[in-house]
Amino acid sequence: MRRVLTVLGTVIVLAMAGCEATPSPLASSDGPRLSVEGPWVRTTTGARDATMTAAFLTIVNPGDADVRLVGADCADAAMVQVHEMVMADDKMVMQEAKDGLFVPAGSHLHLTPGGPHIMLMQLRTGFAVGDQVALTLRFSDGSTLAVTAPVKEFVEEEDHYHSPSPTPSPSS
Amino acid sequence: MTGVSEPTPEPAPGNGADGPPRLQRRRLLGYAGVASAGAVVGGVAGAGIARASTPVPVAPQPAVIRQDYSPHETHQAGITTPVPAVTRLLAFTLTELAVEPLTKLLKLWSGDIQALMAGRPIPGDPTPDLARTGVSLTITVGLGPRVFSLAPLRSKRPDGFVEIPAMAHDRLQERWCGGDLVVIVAADDATTVDYAARRLARDAATFARPGWVQDGSWRGTDASGEPVTGRNLFGQLDGSGNPSGDLLAQTVWAADPQPWFAGGTTLVVRRIQMDLDFWDRTTAERQEKVIGRRLDTGAPLTGTVETDALDLAAVGESGAPVIPLDAHARRSHPDENSARRMLRRGLNYTSTEVVDGRPVTTAGLVFLAFCADLAEQFVPVQQRLDANDALNDWTTAIGSAVFALPGGFAKDDWIARALFD
Repeated sequence: MRRVLTVLGTVIVLAMAGCEATPSPLASSDGPRLSVEGPWVRTTTGARDATMTAAFLTIVNPGDADVRLVGADCADAAMVQVHEMVMADDKMVMQEAKDGLFVPAGSHLHLTPGGPHIMLMQLRTGFAVGDQVALTLRFSDGSTLAVTAPVKEFVEEEDHYHSPSPTPSPSS
Repeated sequence: MTGVSEPTPEPAPGNGADGPPRLQRRRLLGYAGVASAGAVVGGVAGAGIARASTPVPVAPQPAVIRQDYSPHETHQAGITTPVPAVTRLLAFTLTELAVEPLTKLLKLWSGDIQALMAGRPIPGDPTPDLARTGVSLTITVGLGPRVFSLAPLRSKRPDGFVEIPAMAHDRLQERWCGGDLVVIVAADDATTVDYAARRLARDAATFARPGWVQDGSWRGTDASGEPVTGRNLFGQLDGSGNPSGDLLAQTVWAADPQPWFAGGTTLVVRRIQMDLDFWDRTTAERQEKVIGRRLDTGAPLTGTVETDALDLAAVGESGAPVIPLDAHARRSHPDENSARRMLRRGLNYTSTEVVDGRPVTTAGLVFLAFCADLAEQFVPVQQRLDANDALNDWTTAIGSAVFALPGGFAKDDWIARALFD
């Protein structure tokens, strides 16, 4: 995947350098489909607050139109939000991305620890390592993507992920 | 340690019919190169190569270093693919012997394997920058006998998947034996192996306790990087006469398996300690008679090159067989074992442990034998060697474990899924 992304990145750079709005050779009438790479959900086992966790993944947009990740659904969570990083009082903190997260045409978006992520709150169940979590991603073009994400171990400090109390608003 | 000898030089090809594009291309170019060099391969060099009834004698060996392999083929990678420089085997014991934790672990590992072998970090990787392509990484998973004692899996045990019976020369140590699961991680360099093995072990920690870990090295290339038969620490070429082509397939892949085991094989891992000091004191002439092959070229004592067939009937001026009756290459030869063969994959090890406050170094070979049917292939050959093999004076098995290795898994699937259907 990394190589593919590099190639796509190169295409973008060349197009920009040319300052021409030439149609992408990747574009077609249907448009290539969005896809997801390497999804995972952080375990709640051992978490200070086991009622919430986060999902991380990479969204690949091979098409010629930008899209936004506007939301996600998860049957195991009463509330799901898309979070972004913002600077507040000289500190990076998380907050809900009200307009969604931008996935540029011909490029990708990484949701990673310490970066944008999908926040799963008011969990109806704990997530143990090795569980599989079903998510549905919703995009600005009306499309959805079903994702099965394995639950994996804690790999960083828990506090790192948590926003200053996100404003609750029921998902979908 | 040269094991079962069989005089076909063609090495193992890729790990399945649908080789990764890079490998397929390499193979294609390889055959084309042979043809343009004037060798008579003619009509054999096309699509029919895998089904040719006789091995193509001039086929080039697949490149060893800087390869990329896929876990999504008929067979797992790391079995018939070339042996790279570094291999680590990790055994695990399930904390709870039950289907659910086992399937969870296999799903996690499958995602990890798919990412790592593609040169990508695993999901949630805390050290993502260690991932890399072109490092010949293979990750191979096997299931130990206890898995098939689970009630729903009892009827799924592969044919001939048996524990190895005790041998008179064995001096087995519990710490090198058994395991419910094995992961074999191999790559061009030790850093890649360290990285991948650690990620896989971390994901296993919820479900399994770590068991033995065996590290081995191999030098499967010559000074210019071309593939060659490697040497064990006795200095012998080790792996001469491994089966190839159709014979390799018959030797290794389970015949008429249950659906879940399609493309599978069974593996025995033997930790063979070698008495290097005693070997060093042995004359070269004796060393060659012990094995039945020349040390420098690996040629049979009745031949001139490594790939020559052994002439087991040849006698010298004294009337004694040129290849002695107790020579390892004779005793293990298919002609003396009802045509029984195995695919051997050797790894050299040197291990230093502190005993009574002093460092003690031992060395040997982590010997891997892949068989379609362990009971029918490895066991009788090993029993024959146990009864009489000149090499037994220098070698001692101190570890033994068996595993069933399922076939590869599809991109949206996980390894051995059909076992649990």
